[in-house]
Amino acid sequence: MTFAARPAIQPWRRANKKRIWQIVAASVLPAILTGALVLLTGIDPALATVVVFLPSQLVLASLVGFSAYGRRGLGDAALVVLTIFLSAFVMVLLLSVLYSVLTEGAKAISWQFFSQNNVYVSGTTSLDYGGVGHAIIGSLLVVGITTIVAVPLGISMAIYLTQSQSKIKNLVRTVTQALSGLPSVVSGLFILSIITSGDFLTKSGFAASLALIPLMLPTVARVAEEALKLVPADLRYAALALGAPNYRAFFQVILPAAKSGLITALLLGLARVIGETAPLILTLNTNNGTSLNPFEGAMATLPTYIYSYLSSSFAPSQQRAWGAALVLLIVVAVLFGLARVLGRSKSLKTKPTNKKASK
Amino acid sequence: MSESSVTKPAPVRRKLSAGPLSTGDKWFFRTTSIAASFAFVLVALVLIFLSLKALPALQNQGIDFIFGNVWDAGDDNNLIMQIGPMLWGSLLIALIGVLIATPMAISMAYLIVFMLNSRLAKVATTLVDLLAALPSVIIGLWGFYVFTPVADQWASILNKYLGWIPIFQVENPEYGFRGSPFIAGWIVAVMIVPIITSITREIFSQLDKDLINGALALGGSRLSVFRKVILPTASGGVVGGVLLGLGRAIGETVAIFYVLQISFDINLGQVLETRGGAVASWILARFGEATANEQSGLMAAGLVLFIITLIINSIANVIVNRAQPWRKD
Repeated sequence: MTFAARPAIQPWRRANKKRIWQIVAASVLPAILTGALVLLTGIDPALATVVVFLPSQLVLASLVGFSAYGRRGLGDAALVVLTIFLSAFVMVLLLSVLYSVLTEGAKAISWQFFSQNNVYVSGTTSLDYGGVGHAIIGSLLVVGITTIVAVPLGISMAIYLTQSQSKIKNLVRTVTQALSGLPSVVSGLFILSIITSGDFLTKSGFAASLALIPLMLPTVARVAEEALKLVPADLRYAALALGAPNYRAFFQVILPAAKSGLITALLLGLARVIGETAPLILTLNTNNGTSLNPFEGAMATLPTYIYSYLSSSFAPSQQRAWGAALVLLIVVAVLFGLARVLGRSKSLKTKPTNKKASK
Repeated sequence: MSESSVTKPAPVRRKLSAGPLSTGDKWFFRTTSIAASFAFVLVALVLIFLSLKALPALQNQGIDFIFGNVWDAGDDNNLIMQIGPMLWGSLLIALIGVLIATPMAISMAYLIVFMLNSRLAKVATTLVDLLAALPSVIIGLWGFYVFTPVADQWASILNKYLGWIPIFQVENPEYGFRGSPFIAGWIVAVMIVPIITSITREIFSQLDKDLINGALALGGSRLSVFRKVILPTASGGVVGGVLLGLGRAIGETVAIFYVLQISFDINLGQVLETRGGAVASWILARFGEATANEQSGLMAAGLVLFIITLIINSIANVIVNRAQPWRKD
């Protein structure tokens, strides 16, 4: 019995030129076909994408897959095409958000938009007057107070979760994780219920910062815990073996090593709460002037500024909302970018730490 | 504390104990455990204060508060407050969001872990995380001005060609589809895609590489490996991630507040019909002109929302933690 000579398949070889051209053709042709169809017949682009682009893409990719790998290439082609299509769709949504905020927001941005407040501004006032200065200050004050409370608390929680030998550790972790899903409106209602039940608290910037604490705390605790976990336990044991009490082992060995990770926790916590809107609407009255007193009276913040101008029917007010959204987006992007940069050095961190510990 | 003088010949035998020895340590652990117990205190405080405020409304309405479908705030002394339609609306929107987001998130995770090289994977991960960091008010702004017209178009296409399916039926298509649960569901999907993606990605990247390579060596294709190896081993974590997304979707407030047009009416599942609402949006919408009595009803709605999300999140976290044994300390 003889076997028919089969062409030697060499799966380790890179795709040959012919195959690359096939793939390019399979990706480009459906796009051209769809584009032409949309231009010529005026069919809706979304409909064309689903009815024409995706099926033709699938068929062509399956042909390429079949010619390369036989029958099993069919399923692979479908998987690859669908994966790329859906992922690209996510990216399109994200870029659409970023693009619209950048282009629309840029129209409102000017120096005076950053520096002035909105005292003499009505819905139809042109964008040459007024700005978000008061809202920036308000946001800083509110989030600043939240940070002062939530960050030490969150980091202490993370210390407890990583350093102590307590038996209820897992329960604490579960509750903290469950808190991270707390709907922001509930957090606002919680503080509001305190405000309405007595004279301890009035609607103010301070109340708003209290409402943000339950939202910031879980983020800080989780990221800080991850950061502390990254410090090798051997360092801590070495310090303890040398006779250091736990707290000195923490402050002198673990803390310096985990510093950048803890700052990341702070930054991500800030990014989490700086854009929170619902709690602020419930616990803080907004105003148009600058207020520096978080304990009394109304105060504007960036999210509530956007909220109050968003549904206005006047074009300048809508532009203001976009402008404030751009400012908020820049703040979030800066915080997020800093956290990324600091987080990146995580893997390199053990080296200097070892040096420090051996001194 | 621990300094002993040099002249002392031999140190006193120390008592062996597992607890902290020095006073400093005692305070160190005491402080951190107080901080940790704050997690419980916080949950308890939220429950207590919301319950106190919600009690009048709950007592008045009883179980109908959740299942009834009348909200009549006309007569302040005789309020009828029942959040049935809003609660169902929240679940409906969250369900639509999860149905849309899950395929996208799994694709994204698959792309990042199994298809892209490490540099591109990093870029994609950063972009997904950036999407997670976008404040909901910005998503709401975008949803209101940019996305709603587009999704309106999609909805009209769905209604035109698939209108014979009951869920895509609409009574008056000529009024348009703005403010429908369909559009709100999309907005929610945008918000929860990053959550599901990041958990799925983490699980995918920790899968046993030998298992996958073994399956490939046995002649498996991408698809068969995905279906027979990756999905079965990762399914627990993915389900947990989806549940986390569901919890977030139910509690989402500002992003869908503008997109959604609330009408206090039950919408069983005609997703394109502009009818129904969501609990969180309802709270925000009514809150402004609410009297003290009506506020009690809104607090009760918040309490229900809190309990639902707490349960869903706890289940989700247990599943996710069980699916990630490498994260145990």
